[in-house]
Amino acid sequence: MPLRGSPSSVRPAETGRTDETQAGQRTRRTDPGVPTPRRISGQRAERLAPYVLLAPAIAIVVAFRLVPLLMGVNFSFTGDGERDGTAVGLDNYAELFRDPLFRTALENVGLLVLLLPVAVAIPGLLATFIYLRVPGHPIYRSVYFFPAVLSPVLVGAIFNLLLAFDGPFNAALGNTGIDPVDWLGDPDIAMFTVVGVHVWATFGMALVVFLAGFSTLDATLLDAARVDGASLPQVIWHVIVPGLSRTIQFVFVTTMIGMLTSMFGLLYVMTSGGPEGSTYLPEYYIWVQQGEMNRPALASAASTVLFLLMLVVGLAQIALLRRAGREH
Amino acid sequence: MRRVRLRVWVIAVPMAALAVATIYPLVFTANVAMKTRHEYILDRFSLTSSLSWDNIATAWTSVGLGRYFANSVIVVASAVALLLLIGSMAGFALSHLRFRGSRALFLCFLAALFIPFQVIMVPLARVMADSGLMDTYPGLILAYVAQFLPFTIFLMTSYYSGIPGEIMDAARIDGNTTYGVYRRIMLPIGRPALLSVGILNALFCWNDVLISLLMMPSPEHRTLMVGVTSLRGQYSDDIPTFASGVLIAALPVLVLYLFFQRQIADGITAGATKG
Repeated sequence: MPLRGSPSSVRPAETGRTDETQAGQRTRRTDPGVPTPRRISGQRAERLAPYVLLAPAIAIVVAFRLVPLLMGVNFSFTGDGERDGTAVGLDNYAELFRDPLFRTALENVGLLVLLLPVAVAIPGLLATFIYLRVPGHPIYRSVYFFPAVLSPVLVGAIFNLLLAFDGPFNAALGNTGIDPVDWLGDPDIAMFTVVGVHVWATFGMALVVFLAGFSTLDATLLDAARVDGASLPQVIWHVIVPGLSRTIQFVFVTTMIGMLTSMFGLLYVMTSGGPEGSTYLPEYYIWVQQGEMNRPALASAASTVLFLLMLVVGLAQIALLRRAGREH
Repeated sequence: MRRVRLRVWVIAVPMAALAVATIYPLVFTANVAMKTRHEYILDRFSLTSSLSWDNIATAWTSVGLGRYFANSVIVVASAVALLLLIGSMAGFALSHLRFRGSRALFLCFLAALFIPFQVIMVPLARVMADSGLMDTYPGLILAYVAQFLPFTIFLMTSYYSGIPGEIMDAARIDGNTTYGVYRRIMLPIGRPALLSVGILNALFCWNDVLISLLMMPSPEHRTLMVGVTSLRGQYSDDIPTFASGVLIAALPVLVLYLFFQRQIADGITAGATKG
């Protein structure tokens, strides 16, 4: 492969020259044959090909992802409004943690962490039953997966109709003699409602991942367990959970990330952070500060906190599940 | 024997109930969308008797969803085309060409995959505003490309890595340049992956609300999802029209899902198992 000898390591004091002369010299140095001009330009084109092919991707990722990430961290140490652009140290962070709305947002993250095992166990169990060929198993995968492709905005809009005070949900409860619940208007309930809808909308995604994990599971282990007379819970606990530890780890991390970063549409449509600010999450807080309050520096501080939070959650989960995997 | 049977149904019945619960919300919405306002107020649960398309027409024309729909189609189609082109070029280079820094670059793209949009949205808005791209189609298209490119590169790289290098060597002996190999060999060979990644990206872009809310502030530039959210305020007393809007916005996704379910699931699980 001609690209092997790419020689930027053998590039001594040539910095003053243009790229073209450098490339020409390179060609001569690595190719002792008599080079015709056409061959030189052809080879140069070949040598540069990987960089040409990658150039648009690099430019876009650098300009619109990496640079903004660094700018954002930098922003978070500057002021808003009158103090725009001046360094303010940790003022934004101090303000952030004084803000009851942001504190609620963090508390809600804690709630998400607590609900996470449920959000993983539901698709995990369903995938197990589908894998064990519960009656009707060929269609469940498609049916359960379907809401996962709907936009959170549409899911939110649909559930706004379903959860209305005089909507189908409360009507069904009424039939069993339970009083109607104000699903989105009660500060103690609203966050659970939104998380519940999020789980409804996304469990199919995790289910599909679990089913892919099952295809790597050694089926003879299951047969052996069955011959030994293991019950279903025993099979799940002693065969399936250890066998799928990598998949479970992946689903844990992606479900948590999904809860931290893809509930915006639901919050925007269903509650707008209300009632009484009870359904704030960091991502919604960032949007409100940026889009409505015009406080970009404060929003950047919140972004940085969210980013750190995600790093910590991701790493902690990986560490925890690694250890659990080793004990088995 | 009977006990075993009983146990199976203990699982099967809740699963069937859950399947109904998964489908019912959409059926309910479709039913409401077909009702007249009067009919809805009288009884919101009964099956519609009218099968009226008036609400759909109202949502499409007088509410202006048609305009938003066109905006979405323009932006999503351009973004997906760019993503596939740039992503497959990069994936081919990262998987089959040897050059300095290829591994470091791949790791950079992989790391970029884990930067959520919320974390960069504030400075991104400033970058876009400074370069005059704010509130323009190219701006939103670029924002989508930037958002979903790392994922696209990752999947294209892992797909192309599964294709033996001998194919490329043979093509070179036949006199192809690297670009020729990309255009004549890798693009056609990559079709299944391009289809899967393209559909996933189309879904992501179509379903997005946060990025377009940030990048397209003026009302005439609204994408369909933002249009649906604004519908809520305007038509809070006209639920059937609102439900029609939801149905219009969901329809393309439904169609994609019906035809390309396998590719969508494949794309998601390819990201999962190889990650």
